Amino acid sequence: MTFNSVPYLLFLVFAVAAFWLLPAQFRRAFVLLASLGFYASWGFLLVWLPLLVAGIVYLIGLQITSDNTHQIKWMWLGTGCLLGLLIFFKYRGFLFGNLQSLGISADRHPLSLATWVAFPMGISFYTFEAIAYLIDLRQGRVKMPGFWDLCLFFFFWPNILSGPLVRARELMPQLNFRKPFEPRFCFEGMDRLIWGLVQKNVVANLLGVWVDRGFAPSAGGIPSTLDGWFLAIAFGLQIYFDFAGYTNMAIGAARLLGVTLPENFRQPYHAATPPDFWARWHMTLSRWVRDYLFFPLNAKYAGAPLPLYFSLLAVMALVGLWHGAGWGYILWGSLHGAYLVLYRVYESWRPARSLGAASRWLSGAWRILTLVAVIVAWVPFRAPTLQKASEILSSMFWHLRAGTAYGAAFYVFTLAVIPFCVFEPLLLQKLGEIEEQAGADGPPAFRVLVRPIAYSFGLLLFLLFDEHNVQFIYSQF
Amino acid sequence: MIPDSVTIRNAAMEAATQLVGRPIKEGQRLVTSGLIDSLSVLKLIGLLEKKLRVIIPPETLQPEDFDDVNLIVETVERVAKSMP
Repeated sequence: MTFNSVPYLLFLVFAVAAFWLLPAQFRRAFVLLASLGFYASWGFLLVWLPLLVAGIVYLIGLQITSDNTHQIKWMWLGTGCLLGLLIFFKYRGFLFGNLQSLGISADRHPLSLATWVAFPMGISFYTFEAIAYLIDLRQGRVKMPGFWDLCLFFFFWPNILSGPLVRARELMPQLNFRKPFEPRFCFEGMDRLIWGLVQKNVVANLLGVWVDRGFAPSAGGIPSTLDGWFLAIAFGLQIYFDFAGYTNMAIGAARLLGVTLPENFRQPYHAATPPDFWARWHMTLSRWVRDYLFFPLNAKYAGAPLPLYFSLLAVMALVGLWHGAGWGYILWGSLHGAYLVLYRVYESWRPARSLGAASRWLSGAWRILTLVAVIVAWVPFRAPTLQKASEILSSMFWHLRAGTAYGAAFYVFTLAVIPFCVFEPLLLQKLGEIEEQAGADGPPAFRVLVRPIAYSFGLLLFLLFDEHNVQFIYSQF
Repeated sequence: MIPDSVTIRNAAMEAATQLVGRPIKEGQRLVTSGLIDSLSVLKLIGLLEKKLRVIIPPETLQPEDFDDVNLIVETVERVAKSMP
């Protein structure tokens, strides 16, 4: 069941209704069962994997809390097991494919027996949550829970597939479900849910039709310069609305149960600098990387330049690899690493005193450079092969050529989405303001009707554009 | 010797002000608000170690342990007590 499908919406309605009708003491068991059922809808045989992850965390966690002298060894053992599972299920094909191409491995790799196993949805997300849990346990930030508490934490259906990546200490206390029902849970949840449906099914899927065509391996040769840039911009918009749409639906579903999940986006294309982009894009992954990878790596060197630059490049390449088993993802991450290094170098050379008007020009230039750099980096991320990525990049920078290969609708729609991207975060805020104003000045009936009208319009758009039933991009990570 | 809370608080205010470049308020969020990043937290730790003559091992800490002055005081006290 994808979030943007009618079966999921029906599941959600029944699950949320049953949740609030049940006595509070049965809600945990109900949410765990509903989450297991939701995950099983992707493949019944895959349910054992998050169960195994919960089992590893539970057993290693018991050792960490009981054996003070070997805490670090146990933590590393647990992390190793979790990473081993992730590598086996996500990267084995990539790994052996590359070894074969280097002539190191035989034609048929020893793990080929396991190729019948389908890709376990959400594995990158719940593995990272599990690693964070072990580190937090070792640092004394969380307590040792029961096995079923861990299962509920990992399986919680609103965020198991593609995050937001939550910390145990922010989600587990909420999974007691002791809060009494409040009408605002419905409003806040529905606002996010329906907005996410519109972002995904209307904006992202429509852009996706053109993007898929432009990036297809069969799309012949080097596109024109205009098409190259439009394809890169269109994919930048598509992936934002796709992932932000998914995140809104995840946050909305959790909110309907009275649970608050962390935000993942804060107008990323408004970023003023490359580090600012990562403070706005996939914020929960950035936070994970900062807390469990970047900060400990740099702690020894107190931010000395060379180790800092090296760690930025290495960590961002790993962030790319986390997204998918392919060189395009690694190149995307490495490009972002290079942007961050360049910005740090600039920062270390920048004069301390203010340059007045020049400062404003410089910050404006960084804002534009950041946006262009982010758009350029999306090309290898989306392209199916490095060859295709180099063709599109060369059309953008070297092989300058006039011409268009698409109908006017592609260019007009892409241009129309840009201001929508700028202003859409303000729309939900505006809805609240209209409602407040209507309550203060207008007839009470209008206040009551604002949300149902907005929801009906959103659902109508969702149904009108539901023909593609396309999966979320991040669900493959 | 473990410095007292007032000394740690004053040192934290001074160090944070020095990093941010302007005076900070008592409960002002430093990391989650984006006022300072994780690298600045490492610099903050260095400044606190100099001012308070304590050792703060950052490998066992996270940037949000330094999110505001109260948290900084708590973190430094906890770390100082756990040191042999």
